[in-house]
Amino acid sequence: MSLRMTPGAVVIGSLAILAAVVFVVVFWPYASTDYTPSEIYRARSSVEDGGRAIYIANGCVYCHSQSIRAFDWDLGSERIAQAGDYVADRPILLGSERTGVDLSQEGGEHPDDWHLAHFINPRYTRPNSIMPRFAFLGDDKIHLLTRYVQSLGLKQADHRMARQVYWKQEAIKAYEAGPVANVKWLAEHVPPGWRNLANPYPTTAAGLARGHKIYQEFCIGCHGPIGDGMGPAQPYIYPPPLNFTILQGREISGGILYYQIMNGITGTAMPYFKRELESQKIWEVGNYVAVYFINQSDAGAEPKGIPSAWEP
Amino acid sequence: MSKSQFTAIQTNSTARGFCLTSAFWMVIATLAGLTAATELIAPDISGNVSWLVFGRVRPIHVNLVLFGFVTPGLLAAAFYFLPRLLRTELYSEKLGIAAVALWNVAIAAGIIALAAGHSQGREYAELIWPVDVLLVITFALLFWNLIMTVRRRQEPILYVSVWYACAAVILTGVTYCLGNVVWKPDSGALVGIPDAILLWFYGHNIFGLLLTPLSIAVAYYVIPTAIRRPLYSHTLSLIGFWSLLVVYSHIGTHHLLQVPVPTWLKVVAIVDSIAMVIPVMVFLINIWYTAKGSLGEVHADIGAKFVFTGTIMYFVVSIQGSIMALPQVQRVTHFNNWVVGHAHVGVLGFAGMIALGGLYFILPRITGKPLYSRFLADLQYWFVFLGTIGFTTVLTIVGLIQGNAWLNGEMIYRVLPELQIYYIMRAAVGLTVFVSALIGLYNIVRTLYFNPGEAA
Ligand code: HEC
Ligand code: HEC
Ligand code: HEM
Repeated sequence: MSLRMTPGAVVIGSLAILAAVVFVVVFWPYASTDYTPSEIYRARSSVEDGGRAIYIANGCVYCHSQSIRAFDWDLGSERIAQAGDYVADRPILLGSERTGVDLSQEGGEHPDDWHLAHFINPRYTRPNSIMPRFAFLGDDKIHLLTRYVQSLGLKQADHRMARQVYWKQEAIKAYEAGPVANVKWLAEHVPPGWRNLANPYPTTAAGLARGHKIYQEFCIGCHGPIGDGMGPAQPYIYPPPLNFTILQGREISGGILYYQIMNGITGTAMPYFKRELESQKIWEVGNYVAVYFINQSDAGAEPKGIPSAWEP
Repeated sequence: MSKSQFTAIQTNSTARGFCLTSAFWMVIATLAGLTAATELIAPDISGNVSWLVFGRVRPIHVNLVLFGFVTPGLLAAAFYFLPRLLRTELYSEKLGIAAVALWNVAIAAGIIALAAGHSQGREYAELIWPVDVLLVITFALLFWNLIMTVRRRQEPILYVSVWYACAAVILTGVTYCLGNVVWKPDSGALVGIPDAILLWFYGHNIFGLLLTPLSIAVAYYVIPTAIRRPLYSHTLSLIGFWSLLVVYSHIGTHHLLQVPVPTWLKVVAIVDSIAMVIPVMVFLINIWYTAKGSLGEVHADIGAKFVFTGTIMYFVVSIQGSIMALPQVQRVTHFNNWVVGHAHVGVLGFAGMIALGGLYFILPRITGKPLYSRFLADLQYWFVFLGTIGFTTVLTIVGLIQGNAWLNGEMIYRVLPELQIYYIMRAAVGLTVFVSALIGLYNIVRTLYFNPGEAA
């Protein structure tokens, strides 16, 4: 048969196929596509590049993607990735697994102190996290890494970072003016409609039990098991996590608690929870804080409109 | 000279070297995997030790599995069967041993570098430039040895296993250089989206042009030899070979379907991922028809039993792969443990089982004595087999939980507690596979060096 395979046919033939394939699916896309920078692009500083090298050395890419898709909801999903976002990335760090969250837009999500506590031990700020501790990196490298993480999202990150820095100063000023002024400052920034709103749902044992669970899974590392703000993250965070017990008698409505938990307090380490907690969960963890730590709850108080159908 | 005389003068030192390489690194590779799996359950277990951190252990695991365990295992068989199929001696056992030594030096150096935080940061292309260079030189030495053996052959007809082995080694030598961007020693990478396209062209071809052709080569040798029957069809061998090279090599972009790469490239990748059914089924039909009616003999030889099971896993992983290349499916399966499950069927169930089968098939023939323990080999078979099934089941469930939850708008952090029980089961399965690697190393070392068995 003429189809007899010779060494030449095997070696030359397969190399020829490979060459053709490389030309079409590697070289052609490389040469023919226009990868102009997108509108969020800016160059990274050398400090940020130093942080990126630490990111690569420690394999953050095996748990974190930098690749947002049209149907994503989680962190970073405010922007769908474009080719022009990656024009300075050597290597590109798209990632292939999301054991952790996408970090494309991580810059400015949190202030630096949150990242410090989180890198020292992720369970300090995120009790259920399975991310490794990076305390071994030491202060200098954690600093570089934080600068890189805070640059993710480039111009959009810069915009968010400027906001973090501004509100950080404000929050520190308020904190240093003493507890009374601080509590007042915190409440002042809650929109009036929310401030005057009582928690519309009555306190129930079942609701408190659920609130307790949420508190353990989301809040305990900062605010501490007894709500005094002395969780393990406390030494790294400034202004420190709020001591809820100082809120007693200061007209902290259910609405204020809800709003702060939902929206977070930009500039402080207090994150927003509107993405991970649905409405019922926020009311319940808020009421848990009110009942157990503030010792004062307006849950179910009048005026409250038509009772919800599920109320006991 | 007759065939048996050749057998008598073969020293097989290269094949022996690769046997030991594979058995040894399988232990370390699975230990690294077990460590990583444990860290996903108890993250603080890494303490404050830099080289134990998940992000360093995971690439150590993956690289050792690919380049420490599976590839050397398959090469061991190739270096055994090539001279036999060509009715000659290996061109140079010295060169072969040099390649084995260099290979081990490269792997050890690469792993130490990864542990110390020196990585190119690109999946399957993590090893740093000096290691890349060592590995490419090794591939060149291997290819030189194989092709010179081919040139000195007494057998005019090249059997299909020879095609696959030669093509795998030369093509991987080339794609390895390209994929690791060896002309850029400091980064080993391109910039931006083209870097992703190149990376997945290369990463995909670690399976497509290295593991798969070598595994197919071993299967084409082991199954007909074990049952003493000729191959079912020469024509199917030819179609399978050329279609594999053409189709498998150009669909790497199915790893990037959700990324802004050119749409035509995605379309090509999707369509031809479906077309992968052709090379896959052509090979499988050929090998299964060859074995038809002789499964008793396959079962009687532990090497052939491993290899045959590997071919079934090839069927599973490939059909699964074609389905995973569909964009609608990938909405759920991408970015989560479903893909890790697929990877384990492919690399452990298919290529890994065939590598082990190759080892167990050639060991008695190299030493002229039966295996030290057939029982232990069988035990390893069952551990690896159940391990593959276990990984696939558990990781597929985890992947579906993650993928569907995310698609419905649940946050990654919220879903973490739901996964823990599966991560525990996964680590338990990993322990099984690690134990099987220990059993294998013991059995293989005893077979080679301290084997009380009677010469056959
Ligand atoms: C084992 C996988 C894993 C590794 C490795 C890992 N992470 Fe994470 N990471 C996670 C998980 C899970 C979360 C979500 C829970 C949390 O916030 O800790 C997370 C969260 C984060 C967040 C917080 C996102 C947010 O705003 O809520 C940042 C920032 C982060 N990781 C950065 C890194 C960096 C930088 C590295 C490498 C030095 C790294 N991670 C390595 C798993 C990992
Ligand atoms: C990473 C640390 C951290 C975590 C986690 C955290 N907080 Fe906070 N929280 C803070 C900080 C810091 C402040 C503001 C301190 C300041 O400005 O004085 C704060 C403030 C608050 C306030 C504002 C009270 C007011 O009077 O305005 C509420 C309510 C609150 N946290 C509730 C929660 C709840 C509920 C959770 C869990 C769902 C939670 N926090 C999780 C750090 C944290
Ligand atoms: C032959 C048909 C095959 C097809 C069409 C196929 C398809 C795919 C696809 C689409 C992915 C990407 C999934 C995603 O990221 O969403 C993938 C990943 C993977 N495949 Fe396959 N596959 C095939 C066979 C194999 C074989 C035989 C092996 C092993 C030898 C293998 C090993 C892997 C591995 C390790 C990954 C994970 C890559 C990563 O790290 O992200 N596949 N496959």
